[in-house]
Amino acid sequence: MQEQLAQLVVAATREAAAVATRAELEAFKARVVGPNGTLTQVMKGMAALSKEERPVVGKLINEAKKSVEELLATLLAKVEGAEIAAALGAPVDPTLPSPDAPVGSLHPLSRTRERILASFRKLGFVVADGPEVETEWHCFDALNTPADHPARDMQDTLYMPKAFRSADAPRKADEAILLRTHTSSVQVRTMLSRKPPFRIVAPGRCFRRDAVDATHSANFHQIEGLWIDRNVTLADLRGVLDFFVKETFGADAEIRLRPSFFPFTEPSFEMDLRSPNLGRLSNRWLEIMGCGLVDPKVLELCGLDPKEWSGLAFGLGLERIAMLVHGIDDIRHFYANDTRFLRQFA
Amino acid sequence: MKVSFQSLSRHLDLAGITPERVAEVLPMLGLEVESVTSFGLAPMPLVVIGEIKSSEQHPKADRLSVCQVDAGEGSLRQIVCGAKNFQVGDRVPVALPGTLMPGGFEIKVSKLRDVDSAGMMCSSEELGLGKGEDGLLILTSRQPAVGTPLNSLYGAPDTVLEISVTPNRGDCLGVRGVARDLAAALGLSLKPLTVKTAAGLAAAPSAADAVKFVRSSSEFCPYYTLRTLKNVKVGPSPAWLRRDLEAAGLRPINNVVDITNWVLLELGQPLHAFDAKKISEGIEARSAREGEEIILLDGKKVKLEPGVCVIADAQRPLVVAGVMGGVDSGVTDSTTEILLESAWFRPGEIRRVARRIGVSTDSSHRFARDVDPAGVELASRLATDLLIELAGAQAVSPAVVVGQPPRADVTIELPAGFVAAKLGTAIADADVSAAFARLGFTVKASAPGFSVLVPSFRSDVTRPIDLVEEFIRIHGTDKVPAGRPIAPLPGDEDALTSVFTREVSARLVGAGFTECCHYSLRDAAELVRTLGADQAALVAMDNPLTAEQTHLRASLVPGLAGALALNLSVHADPHGLFEVGTVFRPQADGTVREFISVAFAIVAEPATRSWKSREAFDALRAKRLLQDAAALAGVASVRLSFGAATSGLWQADHAAALVDRGRAAEGACGVLDLRWTRSLGLKSSVIAGEVCFPRSAFAEARKIRRFEAFSSFPPVTKDVAVIVPVGVAAAEVETRVRQGAAKAAGKEFVLESVQCFDVFTGPGLPDGHRSLAFELRWRHAARTLTDEETNQALGVVIAALEKGAGWTVRR
Repeated sequence: MQEQLAQLVVAATREAAAVATRAELEAFKARVVGPNGTLTQVMKGMAALSKEERPVVGKLINEAKKSVEELLATLLAKVEGAEIAAALGAPVDPTLPSPDAPVGSLHPLSRTRERILASFRKLGFVVADGPEVETEWHCFDALNTPADHPARDMQDTLYMPKAFRSADAPRKADEAILLRTHTSSVQVRTMLSRKPPFRIVAPGRCFRRDAVDATHSANFHQIEGLWIDRNVTLADLRGVLDFFVKETFGADAEIRLRPSFFPFTEPSFEMDLRSPNLGRLSNRWLEIMGCGLVDPKVLELCGLDPKEWSGLAFGLGLERIAMLVHGIDDIRHFYANDTRFLRQFA
Repeated sequence: MKVSFQSLSRHLDLAGITPERVAEVLPMLGLEVESVTSFGLAPMPLVVIGEIKSSEQHPKADRLSVCQVDAGEGSLRQIVCGAKNFQVGDRVPVALPGTLMPGGFEIKVSKLRDVDSAGMMCSSEELGLGKGEDGLLILTSRQPAVGTPLNSLYGAPDTVLEISVTPNRGDCLGVRGVARDLAAALGLSLKPLTVKTAAGLAAAPSAADAVKFVRSSSEFCPYYTLRTLKNVKVGPSPAWLRRDLEAAGLRPINNVVDITNWVLLELGQPLHAFDAKKISEGIEARSAREGEEIILLDGKKVKLEPGVCVIADAQRPLVVAGVMGGVDSGVTDSTTEILLESAWFRPGEIRRVARRIGVSTDSSHRFARDVDPAGVELASRLATDLLIELAGAQAVSPAVVVGQPPRADVTIELPAGFVAAKLGTAIADADVSAAFARLGFTVKASAPGFSVLVPSFRSDVTRPIDLVEEFIRIHGTDKVPAGRPIAPLPGDEDALTSVFTREVSARLVGAGFTECCHYSLRDAAELVRTLGADQAALVAMDNPLTAEQTHLRASLVPGLAGALALNLSVHADPHGLFEVGTVFRPQADGTVREFISVAFAIVAEPATRSWKSREAFDALRAKRLLQDAAALAGVASVRLSFGAATSGLWQADHAAALVDRGRAAEGACGVLDLRWTRSLGLKSSVIAGEVCFPRSAFAEARKIRRFEAFSSFPPVTKDVAVIVPVGVAAAEVETRVRQGAAKAAGKEFVLESVQCFDVFTGPGLPDGHRSLAFELRWRHAARTLTDEETNQALGVVIAALEKGAGWTVRR
């Protein structure tokens, strides 16, 4: 009996070497441990044994059974391994390049815009918007720049024909419709539509009748800021601008407010920036934006009582900031859309 | 406006103050300095007057000559020269060896192509005198003697500051105004202006005057003065006067014209001189009459619009008031008697007229910025002084005046604490009054604060807030501290258009697209392609600057197609490009509406080869991107349907227009018109998509959704395939399937989804037909559905489908 069992295990081990597929495994399993399998037959012979022989033989059978089960487990692992290999195909060479296109990128102007908006959001400013085609009233008159004011000479304006009607900026009377020359028109729309106090920043596209060169563009982008509240002061203006500049240009950037003139602010300033980290423009004063306290006349024109309300406003050129931050020397790069430019800032 | 350091020094004592310091101070007063340039000849003792005694051809160089030059040294100097504009006997500047030229290089004894050269004869530009004629600076005077330093012919060098004067500061369009601000900033006092001609105006011409009347009937000329000057000798101006004009960028003409220009530069008050002999009877400021014309000094013939203010004699208009004179009444070399005008014109009208006739003069520029009425008479007197001194003129009577100065000094009541409240920091009253006093304002303490008398030269200062600006200019903005910390205002949110722009851009970047930014202004051809000729005309501008930028864009797609072509042409693989921006689209009611547009474009065949190919980007992937973008804007996919695209941008049968049942969104996707994209140089076809939304569409985008419970029981799925004629759109079949399946479910259970999983044409189907197969999924909220229920429901769907003409359900 002992010899029979030993031979059985040896034979099974020998046969197992030929098993490669799940079907062969099943057939092999049936031949050994199936109802008529070789091991099953031996186990059936137990019944004929004496009471004394049984424990001895039982032990031998258990050993043989254990060997066979181990053999079957090994075979199952081998077969499954082969199946998985077949399902997966050839192994991957992880050093090959991915055939898929890489992630895209935001335009440097969008990137700069979002960065600037994020810094103003920290100060409680929220984004507002308004139409690009505007009425003359919203773009000029309401901003204390009536038709024959010499300040109109500061900006050459593109107009739409008399017959043009805008769904977004209907005429109040028979004023001209134009392409807004600054985002300051959003100040007017916000004051007319919201109750103070509020703080808004309005990014947007503006237009001037300018010939295109390295620093001029027929359209460009501004970010306008407006804070209307009680008792807004020059100190508040300085605080807001100081924060913005340090956020955008780093803690070692400094600002100065240089008196200037805009019809819609009084007093008015140009804000200059000086920073040690601007390449060849480092350590000199650079004009960055116009700002000031909202002129009482503008508050009145926009339906706010200047005795109760006051405000500060500022407007900066997005292209100018992006050019300074990234060291770009020609504004036309922003509009040429060469991906060798666009992808540099991702 | 150009102001020279020497001219400023006439008005205040600038001893110990450098031009560089002035250039630092002025900007902090609001007078931006655009450039600082030197004017005149820098001190150069080794540059002397020389005379060319002979000139011979250089033996080895065609372009050079070898000259013998007398530089007053007893013997002649040999100098090799490349210029051609001289003759033997001419006097020229000679830089002797050792001279350091303005460009920084030193003149040395040297050899030029083997010939000795001991110095350099100089051009105007080489001496830092600006660009003169080509070649050497030829000295016309025979004095002083050769060998004298060239500096003896020139005055002391000067520095010219070009100042950009903002429109509110008309007072700084004269040297004295700039000097006044500078004095205030530096704590200096302005020197008094001395004028010899007596003050005083006559109400009517006397017998000595050259005119019989002086009148004004124009509302735009409320204040007019005219003075007769006789025995005038017109001739060249003295050197100092010519120098002053040239430093300010003006060309000297003759002493009379130069004097009026000089006074304009000095005081900012424009003057006009008439030749009295050319004036018929008298002078009147009046409205131009119908049909009147004038030929201006610059030769331009102008039709005068009725109402425009002109200065006329009894017969004809002579001058467009405050803007420019006519050709036939001005001063010439033969003039002996002049009428000197000094007046005040309404600023807005001057600006309007100057723009209307398309001229801007030193005169109109100043009148448009509100000249000081108190300076009108003063300027006339100052010019009279000079005409007497430099042109031998004789003043026979006081100037005749019409009208009154339209403005006077203004008193502003400044409440106590007002300045400090606007600054946001404590300020001593004494500091406030001291600043105003430095500006020439008269300050009196009044019960509630200050009473500030602002002289009429500062027309821009009329309100307390204007005084705050004046104070801060003098006090210094660097003394304003940074303000209080700021708390956000609750409930404020970004505009939804801005949120959408950010989110949709992030999504497209994630999908591999690179953001572009194109000009909004496009050419006519592009708009005709996008909208058709009729609608394109509705977005044309009135005054475009160039022929390439005449219309507002109606689509972002043409820009992107152009960018694809550009990038491929420079061998930069663009992959996918996108843009988010405003487009302008004509509406049915005749208005033009602004839409926030999102567009993308990609070439169908990848530009870069890869070891492993990917499925090409196609119209239906574009459709998915559009639906996702619309969902971000709050336009759910169920609102959208897709039909034939009609715009010239899109290829027929390979692109679709997007229609929003909510009438908010518009758009299209698919293949761009192939002939067009090929004409752009794109070999592969281009897949693009664009969806745009009016601002109002975003109002609903941010609704907060409420939770809806879902079933925990398994669904039942059934397939149905239907054969339909090829002209029937898949969406039509799907709609029919959905309606039938929803109806079959009734209120008992719900239709969860309908998914098209097979589209087949080919063997086994009738000609001109295709088969569409759908998987339907139903589910019950509270139990498992039975076979019976779902088979019955499928029967309803089949029955609904077979009502379609020529539709058969495959069994």
